[in-house]
Amino acid sequence: MSGRARLLVVEDGHEYAEFARLFLSDVFDVHGTRTAADALAAVREAAPAGLLLDLRFDRTRPEDLLGDRDEVAARLFGGDRDRALRYLQDQQGTLVLGALRDAGVGAPAVFVHDFPPRRLHNLRRLYGQVEAVASFDAEAIRRALGVS
Amino acid sequence: MGRARNEGFASRETSANLETVYEPVGRGPCRVATVVAITLAFACSGADSPDAEALSSAEGWRRAQDLWERREIGAWDAWRALDPATPEGAEAHRRLAEADGRYREGVRRLREGAPDARTALLEGVAVAPMDPRLYLPLARACRDRGLEPRAVEYYLKFLAAVPSGPDAEAARAELQELGPELAGVFDPAPSRAPSAPHEPSGAKGAVSAPIAGLAGAALLGAVVLGVAVLRRGSGSLDRLAERSPELHPAIAYLVGSLRHELLKHRIGAVGDALRALDRGDASEQQLAFLTSRLFGGEPLREAWRGYLRAFDRALGFRLDLRRDPWFRKAGRAIGVIAALEGRLGRHAPGVQRRLGAAHARLRDFDRHLADLVGRLVRTRIDGALLRGVVEEVRAEYLPGRVELDELRVDDPDEPVEVEVFRVDLVLIVKNVVRNAILAVGRAAPPRRVAVDVVVDLEPTGEEVVRLRVRDSSEEAPSVESLHDRRADRGLALVTAALSRYDGSIDVEPGTDGYAKAVTLRFFRALPAWESDERQAA
Repeated sequence: MSGRARLLVVEDGHEYAEFARLFLSDVFDVHGTRTAADALAAVREAAPAGLLLDLRFDRTRPEDLLGDRDEVAARLFGGDRDRALRYLQDQQGTLVLGALRDAGVGAPAVFVHDFPPRRLHNLRRLYGQVEAVASFDAEAIRRALGVS
Repeated sequence: MGRARNEGFASRETSANLETVYEPVGRGPCRVATVVAITLAFACSGADSPDAEALSSAEGWRRAQDLWERREIGAWDAWRALDPATPEGAEAHRRLAEADGRYREGVRRLREGAPDARTALLEGVAVAPMDPRLYLPLARACRDRGLEPRAVEYYLKFLAAVPSGPDAEAARAELQELGPELAGVFDPAPSRAPSAPHEPSGAKGAVSAPIAGLAGAALLGAVVLGVAVLRRGSGSLDRLAERSPELHPAIAYLVGSLRHELLKHRIGAVGDALRALDRGDASEQQLAFLTSRLFGGEPLREAWRGYLRAFDRALGFRLDLRRDPWFRKAGRAIGVIAALEGRLGRHAPGVQRRLGAAHARLRDFDRHLADLVGRLVRTRIDGALLRGVVEEVRAEYLPGRVELDELRVDDPDEPVEVEVFRVDLVLIVKNVVRNAILAVGRAAPPRRVAVDVVVDLEPTGEEVVRLRVRDSSEEAPSVESLHDRRADRGLALVTAALSRYDGSIDVEPGTDGYAKAVTLRFFRALPAWESDERQAA
C-alpha cells in the first residue's frame, strides 16, 4: 500500500486504468474495477480520493449492470427490453456514480466525455462534485480531481 | 444525439434511386436528359405556376415547407412548382420522389393487409407531402380495411384537391356509400381549401400518349445516366446534414461511433504520450501505450475504411466522403500515422513531428464533428406548437364535430427541445390528440381534453420530456394495443415513429379529474453550448 491517494477507476475494459497508471500514478494509487459491484467492494476496502468513470459499459454482462432493466423498459421505452439494455449500458457510469454516492463516497468524480453543460449541471445537482473532460488529457483530469 | 441509443437509425435504408434524377447534377448528358424530362413532365402536368415563378426560390421553398407543416392540401403542388434547377427546387423534387415511393408502398401494403403499411406511410410523411391523387387509393384501402373515419378523411382530401373529373365523381359516390350520417361532408369546407400559390392540377391524366412516352423515356435515360455521375454530384457530410434533416438520426449515430471508438479511445488517448515523447521524457511504458493504441488491434487504415463504409451503407449516394474536405484531411492524417508504424522512438524527431501534426489534425476533426452533431435537428415544444396541433385536429372533419366541454393546452414551464424532426413530432402529437377527442366524443359529457408537458430528471442527468394528452374518456387503449401494428388505431402508427426517435408512448391513469393520460416520452435535447443554455434558461 503506497502513501498516495487512491484513484478508483470504474470502466468496462482496461483503457482508463491503463491511461491512469501511465499518466496519473505520480499522485494516485490507481485501482481499477469493472463493475458497480467491484467498485462498491473496493470502496469498502479503502475510501478513494477521486473517481475516474467510464460512461458506456457495453462490454459488461447485462446481469452485472446496475439498473432494473424491466423497470426502465416499462418506464421509458414502452416495454422494449432491448432498448432498455442499451440505455443501461450507455449511461452506466452515471448509475455507478449514484451507487457510490449512496454508499457514502463523496470524492470528486470525473468522466471523459463532452457532456452538454446542462447535463453536467444536472449531474452535479444529483451527485455533488462531478467534472467532465472532453478527452484523455492527464492535466485536465488532474485539475478536475483537484490535484494539479 | 450521437449516443449509441441512436443505433436503430444506422440500419435504416436510405433511398437513392429515382429521386436523384432531380438533383442539380449540373454537368454532361445527364443534366440535359434531366432537364428534358422535367420539362416534359411539367408540360404534361401543367404544374408550372406564374406565382411560383414570381417568388424567389428560397421564399417559395419556405412557403412550400410552411404549407406542408400546416398539412395544407396544396403543399404537394407548391413543392412541385418549385424550379428544380434551383437548389431549393432540386431538394423539393428529390424529397417528393423519395416520399412518393414510400407512400405508394404504404398504400399497397394497406390494400393487401400487409404489415407495416403505416410505417411506410409515416416514412413518406417524414420526407415530403403526398401527391393528392394518392388520396383516392388510400381512401379506398382504408375503406376496405374497415378504417372508415380515415377513409372519410382521405376521400375529402382527394375531393378538395381534385374536385372534378371521373375520379372525383367516383370518390363522391363511394363516400356517400359509407353511410347516411356522412351527408353534407361533400360540401367543401372553407378551412380545407388549398392555399398553395396555384390551383392544384386536377386533370393530370389528360396527357397524350406520345408525349407521355417521350417523358418516360427521358426520365429513364436520366436515371441511367444520373447513377453514373451520382458520386460527382454528392456533397460533404455538413452539406448533407444541412439539406436532409431526415438523415440526422443516422448521421448522429455514425458520427458518435466514429468519435467514441476511433477518435476518443485510439487517437485522443495518446495525446499525453505524444507530449511526453516531445519533451523527451516518455517512459518505456508510455511509448508502449502509444504504440499499442495506434498500431495494436485493427490497423488504423482498416478501422478508418470501416467507418467510411458504414457511412456509405447508411447514407448511400447522397454522400461521398472522399470529397468531404474534413474527411479527406482526416484520412490523410490516418495514412500518415499508419505509415509511421515501427518507426516511433525517442530519437526520431522527424517522426514525432509528423505524428504530432497528424494527431492535431484528427483532434480538429473530432471537434468539427462535435460541432456538427450539436447542430443537428431539434424541435422546440412550446405552447404555440401544441396549440397549432390542436387547432389542426379540430379543423378535421370528425374531431371537429365533437362537442367539447374543455380543451386545454398548458404551456411548458420552459421551452424544451427534442431530437425529433418537426414533421414527425406534429404527426405523432396530432394522432394522440385526435384519438383523445374522438374517444371523448364517444363518451358521455363532460368531455374534456388537456395537453401539457412535464420534464423529469433521470438519475443519469438526462431529462425526459413527457407530453401528456389527458382526457375524460374511460375508453383506454391497452399498452399492448399501442404497440400492435395491426391495431385499428393511429396510435400504432405513432409507436412506429416514436421508436425511431428513442421515444415511447404509454397510457397512464389520469389526474385532476381526467380518466387517463396518453403520454409521449422523449429525451430532452440539451443545449450543446453555454450560450444556448442561457438562452434556453
